[in-house]
Amino acid sequence: MSEKIMPESEKITPIREKILANIRVQRYTPGKDKSPYFDNFKMEVETGMTILEVLRHIKNTQDSSLTFRAFCRSAICGSCAVKVNSDSVLACSTQLMPILKDFGKGSVTITPMSNMPIIRDLVVDIDPVIEKLAKMHPYLVENRERVPKALEQESLMSQKELEKFNVMTDCILCAACYSACSSVKTDSNYAGPLTIVKAYRYSADPRDNFSSMRIQAAMDQGLWSCVQCRKCIKVCPKDIRPADSIRNMRQISIEVGIHDTPGSRRARAYTDDVENFGQVNKPMLPVIVNGTKGWAAIEAAEAGLKKHGMEPTRQVCTLPGQKVTAKIYAKVREIEAKEKNQGENKV
Amino acid sequence: MSEIQYDENKLHYAFYSGCCFQGADARFYDILTQVFAKVDVELHLFDEAVCCGAGVIEERSELTSLAINARNMAGAEKMGLPFYTPCSTCFNVISNVQKRLKESSKLFDQVNEILAEEGVEYKGECKITHTLWMLAQDVGLEKLRERITNPLNGLRVASYYGCHTRNPRDIQEYESSDNPTSLEDILKVLGVDIVDYDTRNDCCGYHLTWPNNDISLKMTGSVVEGAQRQDVDLMVTSCPLCFKSLDGVQSKAVAKMGKDFQLPVLFLPELVGLACGMTPKDMQLEWHNVPVNVRL
Repeated sequence: MSEKIMPESEKITPIREKILANIRVQRYTPGKDKSPYFDNFKMEVETGMTILEVLRHIKNTQDSSLTFRAFCRSAICGSCAVKVNSDSVLACSTQLMPILKDFGKGSVTITPMSNMPIIRDLVVDIDPVIEKLAKMHPYLVENRERVPKALEQESLMSQKELEKFNVMTDCILCAACYSACSSVKTDSNYAGPLTIVKAYRYSADPRDNFSSMRIQAAMDQGLWSCVQCRKCIKVCPKDIRPADSIRNMRQISIEVGIHDTPGSRRARAYTDDVENFGQVNKPMLPVIVNGTKGWAAIEAAEAGLKKHGMEPTRQVCTLPGQKVTAKIYAKVREIEAKEKNQGENKV
Repeated sequence: MSEIQYDENKLHYAFYSGCCFQGADARFYDILTQVFAKVDVELHLFDEAVCCGAGVIEERSELTSLAINARNMAGAEKMGLPFYTPCSTCFNVISNVQKRLKESSKLFDQVNEILAEEGVEYKGECKITHTLWMLAQDVGLEKLRERITNPLNGLRVASYYGCHTRNPRDIQEYESSDNPTSLEDILKVLGVDIVDYDTRNDCCGYHLTWPNNDISLKMTGSVVEGAQRQDVDLMVTSCPLCFKSLDGVQSKAVAKMGKDFQLPVLFLPELVGLACGMTPKDMQLEWHNVPVNVRL
């Protein structure tokens, strides 16, 4: 985004614009209304106004029955998340004017978050998410090796150890990621991004000794059901990058080696194939990932090729960069081994 | 800069083909080169390119992904050309690597230490682009309009970006990620009517094909059904992997929902080609799993 260079005097007080906007808000009281419906509120939106200020203004001046949840107004309590034009945001830290300009319609649609039951209007029930989170063992179970000998000592960790999970501790459980999640939408049993972020946060903590149980919990709740659509990264108001934590959790599960799943077999196949061929062995992937069950998919694909007069191959199709990967992989291994040793020796 | 002289009357790109444009999918490569020739774009294949790993390699080692994709970008830098990939996932993975290496000088140095093993340097200067912005911004809508000889007026089309050119917000700087318009801008030039549908922002599920086929098929079916409910003639997607899901496994996905319908799906360059006067045979539409029975 290019920022307009403002004269010094205008930087402190930006030009305040006003737009008469139509605010479409989804209303619904279960038990009373047959289905959700939309109310349209006209109001003057000013530069700098947040979604929460807009909702409060409507409640104070137009319809006191409009129901939404908010508390701290500082993007830290995580209670005010709603969807604005289909993306989940924190109402208190999101300004409306840039959104009105982006969509250029003079109108905005505010709906409750998805994937959770509606209690009333914009308020959803986050309890199902918290129940899934509780099953992830979201607490430290002491690693005896890291417990200091004297009571007055703290359990120290290196900067490098902290970096592995530091940003994830910023999660405020607003559930914006859960609302945006493609996989939760499709399979309500899937744990969702924020619960796996928490599972990773504790598993990556050197003071913890419970990661194998947590991996099992994450596996049972769909660790390999994340599609990596990256929507959770887009909506997270704390920039925690939940989808990256899911990748990290998958990495731990493969390293610990207690699980052999189609997902982990895919990860191994991609990594090893790129090293050996510069490319993934796509023709054989169904069997590599799903074992003998995969032959049906291969035979179907081959029949499809034959129909069009193309001779199928089970050979990997190499990219011309094949010869360069060996050196890269060797050097990466050397660096990773070095870092691992340093991490183990330095506290 | 490269010493090769490029034709000044054309736009030139270093073409990163990824896995969708070779082997059994080589027809896509032929289609792209033919269609782009119509709008004076020439693609130049890398001498050396490696699979981007589709983000899957990061489930084992992030450093490996950073290194191989820095290597890929260094290839475009050597050619002195913008890095073009038609695959949205390759775009997402490689742009993310570029961003990570820009943010962290430590990772930047570490990656260059790795690449130094084979005498390659990653400078971090290459521009990465995708079909959407190549056509909408580099070629430009005006030039595209000039080359249309078979306007597709009245065709009802559901446009579908897929996820990886849109998420996260800072993966691209070409347009708004919340309200992108490049695909619709291109389609409007071709003459079609854009039809809105409520599953247009949903994920097609391609990347769960192997780890969780059940969810993957449900996602695919849901996206196609959303478009089908609006009585569209066809869907158009700018992502080749979304195409593989939406066309490739559509019949399976629809059957799984207990429904019975079919909706033709086109990969964006195919529809551009047809509007530029190329025939369904040129575009090899007979390869589609869902027959494209619309008279184009």
